[in-house]
Amino acid sequence: MKVRTDILRMYKEIHGWVGIVSGLALFIAFFAGAVTMFEEPIQRWASAPTSLSAPVPLERAPELVEAVLAAHPEAARSYDVHLETGPENPARVTWSQGSRRDPEIFLAALAPDGTLEVEKQAASPVAQFIDRLHQQVGLPFAHEVAMPIMGAISLLYFIALVSGVIVLLPSLVADFFAVRVGKNAKRMWLDVHNVLGIVSLPFHIVMALTAVVFAFHDEFYDLQGAAFMDRGAPRAQMAPPPPPNPNGQGPELLTPAKLAQRVESQAPGFTIRAITYHTGREGQPQARLSGHDPRFGLRGPTFGMVEADPVTGALTDTTYMPGLQDAWGATITNFFALHFGSFGGAPIRWSYFLLGLAGAMLFYTGNLLWVESRRKRERKAGAVTQTRATRALGALTVGVPLGCVAGIAVTLAAAKPLGTEATAGIHSAIYYVVFTGFVAWALVRGTARGARELLPAAALALLTIPLASLTFLDLHPWSQPLVDAVSVALAASLTLAARATRRRARNGPRDSVWSHQSHKARADSPPPEAGHAAAPERNPAI
Amino acid sequence: MTPPLTSRNWAGKTAAGLVLGLALALGVSGLLATLLGVRDSFFSPQGQFTMWTIAPVWCAVLSLCFLFRSGLRAWLWLGLAAAAVWLTLFALGSLS
Repeated sequence: MKVRTDILRMYKEIHGWVGIVSGLALFIAFFAGAVTMFEEPIQRWASAPTSLSAPVPLERAPELVEAVLAAHPEAARSYDVHLETGPENPARVTWSQGSRRDPEIFLAALAPDGTLEVEKQAASPVAQFIDRLHQQVGLPFAHEVAMPIMGAISLLYFIALVSGVIVLLPSLVADFFAVRVGKNAKRMWLDVHNVLGIVSLPFHIVMALTAVVFAFHDEFYDLQGAAFMDRGAPRAQMAPPPPPNPNGQGPELLTPAKLAQRVESQAPGFTIRAITYHTGREGQPQARLSGHDPRFGLRGPTFGMVEADPVTGALTDTTYMPGLQDAWGATITNFFALHFGSFGGAPIRWSYFLLGLAGAMLFYTGNLLWVESRRKRERKAGAVTQTRATRALGALTVGVPLGCVAGIAVTLAAAKPLGTEATAGIHSAIYYVVFTGFVAWALVRGTARGARELLPAAALALLTIPLASLTFLDLHPWSQPLVDAVSVALAASLTLAARATRRRARNGPRDSVWSHQSHKARADSPPPEAGHAAAPERNPAI
Repeated sequence: MTPPLTSRNWAGKTAAGLVLGLALALGVSGLLATLLGVRDSFFSPQGQFTMWTIAPVWCAVLSLCFLFRSGLRAWLWLGLAAAAVWLTLFALGSLS
């Protein structure tokens, strides 16, 4: 396809700049996002068993609820009955207090003698920490500060996608799937970058657009409200409903087992995970049932939900109910589901995991290309040693991604020894210590040395995960071998990358940022540039 | 022969894409809301849908605003487009 050359050149430059500005943050967002595809297994892997008694059978849930409401009347406002329990959620009945963003969750159980046991939730917060890292592109700021920055990066990301496609249009057919593995490493990286970008383009468009909405939806709603909607008080609508009738003489509620049965009979295929009993705006009892159905997209990362009448079991609001939404509701749900990968069950989760890793690679290769082209331009302009900017960017391109991978690995592994002591703060501290350590190391040691040393270090960091599994077997019974297996696989691929990097440092062109000899290169003895010179640059990316 | 496009004068074009792109996108979501008859004070699926349309319109304008020859032209054309959309909204009596 023909595109005017000045447009091509312009978008090539724009692509390079928006890419380099947003690439490192996007690497973190994509790697952490890929990891959150396994948020539930990770939470089960990381959560220590509690000292609570085993959950009562679902049939005895009403007895437990009664005991909870007698001892903790504040729970009547809203409490959950869990149909599925596990290490991450060991109680049949829970309730929460405090703000929506920072809730305190209490677990309730019945001791063998029938007395009520209450414990504050100690499920590992590490999975949520990784999710937050993903949402805030790795920024350690308050949500309100991080989100606009994330939104700005998402806008740059979209520009990078459009400009990248425009740049590729003329050579799309010729270059597609042509990964030229050979002496010219840069050519190969460019081909890899292009193939990854084109193959996963729909995924990336979805991610960029949904991320813009996630970053700015409050502002968008506010603007719409101010301009043309009667949206004066959306937040007031979410205000807590009036406290329930103190006498508690409400209508007779269905038992959780019965209610679940009635709802599932109206929506076959929907597996209920939890029932939230709460009070409606007019003080009437309501039930929200959350669950999953792999045949439909889900509104939440792992669940969809439906409102039902807890007295009759009739569905009262199917706006977010998988399979029972109207076309508009399903459309909106699909926007969320396409971002979360919450449709189609395990195959889609795995595809999203791989697409997320591929996305991280896309930004990593993009950065590499930028650094190398810049280095080459500088050489042509007569600069013999790398300028400070190129050196810093090269070092960051090594330090930030590897620091992110290692930081996530170590903070996840720490969940086992931390046990119930773990807080989001501790996990955050561990992550940022490892991350900044890697970045500082790369900056001090330079790109080539840094890569050679940090790649094996990151592989070792990943191995701390299965190591923690084995070491703390007495505290945490072994479960979720998936988490350990994926860590070992990632460690193995980093080891391969480390070997390739060592080889390149030894044998590659001397003025590459990957060469150890780059600082010694002299103007009077131009380095052999066989690889770069031999292959004509038909389509330099940047 | 028009002078070739360049990425040098990106600042004015980007500013136009950001500001007027958002104004345009918000206006388009308003037209859609009028078309669908959404004036609700709660977040109905149709209402949410109109909010979701802001992102693609804004992003498209922002990525393509570089095709204007200068920042001034970008402000002029996008300003005209935004004015047209918002005047239509005004004429339809959709503004609150």
